[in-house]
Amino acid sequence: MLAFESVHFRYGDQTAGLADCSLHFEAGSRNALLGANGSGKTTLLLHAAGLLRPEAGRLMLDGVPLDYSRAGLHALRRRVGLVFQNPDNQLFGATIAEDVSFGPLNLGLDAPTVEARVHAALAVVGLSALAGAPVNQLSFGQKKRVCIAGVLAMQPDLLLLDEPMAGLDPAMQAEMQALLERLSAAGVSIVLATHDIDFAYAWADALHVLAAGRCIASFPASALPAHTARLQAAGQPLPGVLRLETALSARGIAVPPLRSLDALITHLSPSSGPSNRATGDGRPQENP
Amino acid sequence: MWIEALAQRSPWRTVCPFAKAGFALTAGGLAFAGTAPLRVLSVAGVLSLLSVWGAGTPWRAYGRVAAPGLAFLLLSSLTLLVSVQTDAMGALHLIWLPEGGLRLAELGARALAALAALLFLVLSTPLPDLLGMLRRLRVPASLLDLMVLCYRMLFVFAAAWRAVRTAQQARLGGVSLRARWRGLQLITASLAVQVWLRAQALERAAAMRLGEGRLRFLLPVYPTARRDRLLAFAASLALVVMIGWGA
Repeated sequence: MLAFESVHFRYGDQTAGLADCSLHFEAGSRNALLGANGSGKTTLLLHAAGLLRPEAGRLMLDGVPLDYSRAGLHALRRRVGLVFQNPDNQLFGATIAEDVSFGPLNLGLDAPTVEARVHAALAVVGLSALAGAPVNQLSFGQKKRVCIAGVLAMQPDLLLLDEPMAGLDPAMQAEMQALLERLSAAGVSIVLATHDIDFAYAWADALHVLAAGRCIASFPASALPAHTARLQAAGQPLPGVLRLETALSARGIAVPPLRSLDALITHLSPSSGPSNRATGDGRPQENP
Repeated sequence: MWIEALAQRSPWRTVCPFAKAGFALTAGGLAFAGTAPLRVLSVAGVLSLLSVWGAGTPWRAYGRVAAPGLAFLLLSSLTLLVSVQTDAMGALHLIWLPEGGLRLAELGARALAALAALLFLVLSTPLPDLLGMLRRLRVPASLLDLMVLCYRMLFVFAAAWRAVRTAQQARLGGVSLRARWRGLQLITASLAVQVWLRAQALERAAAMRLGEGRLRFLLPVYPTARRDRLLAFAASLALVVMIGWGA
């Protein structure tokens, strides 16, 4: 759907942004961008949204180079939505419904359609009951959800999220993950930047590892065990589930490749049945 | 922000703002047209009672909100009782003006009623609803955009101010007058940079949602607007009759 071809960008103060960065996002896929601070994740998202323009290289949307004219950017932003890391940098409206209506009204839609979209977007993020509430009274997590609703109301094909889990407590993170599941199930392509390797491994279809502005690896999340060296080269830790599986294997306990600790715990729990709790030699375990 | 919080909690928050504004305007008009201070004061009394009993503002909170306005009124009204004159030697003298008492009563009562009318409206109507009303009244868009951004940023920067202030105090920033003064300078400098960065970020965010001109929002809908307006009209009429204007 969206491809970066040898994209190069430096900021005005000559700070490196992206360096010969190439990767692509498939339509309908779930993508996680991994990398240390300053690795270029946000810069990449800003390029994908047309807010930054490459100095060299190019971006292709459905096989067509991005058009940076005013009309071209409008066309791009009808299809691509970006949720910023800090919700206070994104929210304009005094109330939730007002803010969510901002984008659809700019699409030139009539009031009943805008109203319907606002209701639908707020329902997706679970904030219908707070539609008339003032933005300033919301929690950080709720503000993030309003930001997502504001973008969803424009019905983008590709949703970009910059650190959606940052600053959220575990309960809010679970809510956010459930929301991302719902969006993905609805067919929205998602690209998110994150430092949470456990979440990325469990959730994403594809992982893209950035270091110093370069995309040093792109691979299916299921293939992560084969790319641990690249992940570590980018200063990223290995997912906890992978480390646990390795430790269990070293003790002779064979487990199938699972992508979350929850799944592994469920697999190892007594209620999951003796066949799932087999050792490397097939013997059931009393206390896994 | 305190007034806003009270308005958000008001049971009359969902009442159509046009109805509340119409009633407040009528009451303000009555006060302006009235000459008998007691009658004008009774308008102020009715509005205050409505703000407390109807709009659900606690008495103490109402007093705190009204206090700055009342203090200003008191100070400015008292100046009507005195005059400054110079004698032949050029020395300044304060002259007592007994005739200023009546003028003080008239103006003071009117100002009190106007203050009560304003408080009635803002304590029962959050600013977003007032902005929606102003949009329907076709107030210039650039003015409304400015008001919306100021409203949003007021809370954002108040939070930033509190955060920086707390961080300073945690490092003994308020230990002396000199330290407090320096802390104030640093906060101001920090917020000045933040204003600039926020402006850039908001511009980007607006561009992402195709907003390159005026800020457009869906206007709030009040299902009981018709009933509210009728009630406000009836209440306004009752107020006119009660105060006995023209009697």
